[in-house]
Amino acid sequence: MFIIANSGPFALYRWEALLKDWRLFGDAFLYTILLAVGSLIVAMLLGIFFGSLSAMHNKLLNLISRIYVEFFQNTPLLIQFIVVYYGFPLISPMLTFSTTTIAIICVGLYHGAYISEVVRSGIGAVPKGQFEAAYSQGFSYGKTMRYVVLPQAWRIMLPPLTNQIVNLIKNTSTVAIISGADVMFTANSWSSINLNYIPAFALAGFLYFILCFPLAKLARKLEENNKKAYTR
Amino acid sequence: MKKTKKIFGALSLALLLGLIVGCGSGEDKNSTDSGNKGTTDLQKIKDAGVIKVGVKEDVPNFGYMNPDTNKNEGMEPDIARLIAKELTGSEENVEFVGVTAKTRGPLLDNGELDMVIATFTITDERKETYNFTTPYYKDEVGFLVRKADKFTDTASLDGKTIGVVQSATTKEAIEKQAKELGVTFKYQELGSYPELKTALTSKRIDAFSVDKSILTGYVDDSTEILKDGFSPQEYGIATKKANTELNDQLNKSIEKWEKDGTLEKIYKTWNLD
Repeated sequence: MFIIANSGPFALYRWEALLKDWRLFGDAFLYTILLAVGSLIVAMLLGIFFGSLSAMHNKLLNLISRIYVEFFQNTPLLIQFIVVYYGFPLISPMLTFSTTTIAIICVGLYHGAYISEVVRSGIGAVPKGQFEAAYSQGFSYGKTMRYVVLPQAWRIMLPPLTNQIVNLIKNTSTVAIISGADVMFTANSWSSINLNYIPAFALAGFLYFILCFPLAKLARKLEENNKKAYTR
Repeated sequence: MKKTKKIFGALSLALLLGLIVGCGSGEDKNSTDSGNKGTTDLQKIKDAGVIKVGVKEDVPNFGYMNPDTNKNEGMEPDIARLIAKELTGSEENVEFVGVTAKTRGPLLDNGELDMVIATFTITDERKETYNFTTPYYKDEVGFLVRKADKFTDTASLDGKTIGVVQSATTKEAIEKQAKELGVTFKYQELGSYPELKTALTSKRIDAFSVDKSILTGYVDDSTEILKDGFSPQEYGIATKKANTELNDQLNKSIEKWEKDGTLEKIYKTWNLD
């Protein structure tokens, strides 16, 4: 234990250096939050849109949704980043996007595919009887979805949805590969200059944890409330 | 059912304690042996008959993994082979591990490598964490730019984006030079030299900066190295801080080869004069 305190990768002076530079990590934390919120909005919009497409009974719409989902689920996020960052400008100078834009769009597209699957299975899990009962009462398709099906589907979708959101937050760290100043990149960059890599990455892990854990707790609370709403 | 649960819980607790105690006693062994650690490590290498060396694999003429022959080529692997001959008697007793500016330090710390000879610039800050031998090569920082942009010198890059590799001394060197000249730059830090070259080609960065000799491996028809150079970089062989015996041994070898011209011969072989 005494060896750890004075020299080596766990040395005390390295942790003190971390404390001195906390502002750097604070800015990076805000940047990560910005990326997370931005890509979450994109992913949710895309996910709900494509999810409802595949829940309809139109073969063409189903096909469009399928292509989108299969493409983005089966290619690694990292490769998507690299292709858009390095490859697109080679095709045309107009396709040169900023690092932040690339991060939000790529992570949003990637998780949009997963969220659309969650939406589709949520809608599919509502018993067919609900649709039939609503039609028999004179509801149109749109009104059926809005008043009868989606409220029930939402309860089913919540656990996998929060799973995807937590994954999304962690995946924003991929922007480090294209030099975006988020938590992962700052930990990397700061520790490579002064070689304090243990404190840097410990802090980075901790920051991601405090970002994801409250979300998971909130989701579980919502789930409990929803359960109570539908059972007596 | 309850009984099996209790037994299972007790067993896992015992396993956990055993792991913690085991790791703890490992640390204690290190602390008591810190006096003899140097000798033990050098002797360990001689006994094992193999020295594990970290080299670059993406720097032509310095440390390059030739994809056709699958062998490590360059000045640094050659020096490593000479060292292996000194310590173990044969040039073949060397195990090369490819490293980047990022990984060369941590791999030394955790014992995976005995020494690192990978364009590692000696700085006072780094000397606190690793041992460095006397320099075996001197270089300076330069810029690789696209010919089409017609940049002339460092000052003409004012306000442009410079690409550097993470963990290299390049960014600090450029910042110092920029302050002296009264210009400012924007920076992009990427993970490896090939990434930086690709970024230069896609116009993500306006200049790729690192030691000039490393740049020579990435010049092509559409790019050129600016004549400007600054911030002399001295390369040394790095070893773990506690390994002072190995460091002294390597120091002696390098000084000997510098005097008798062996290093000069190696430079000539790789066009590094």
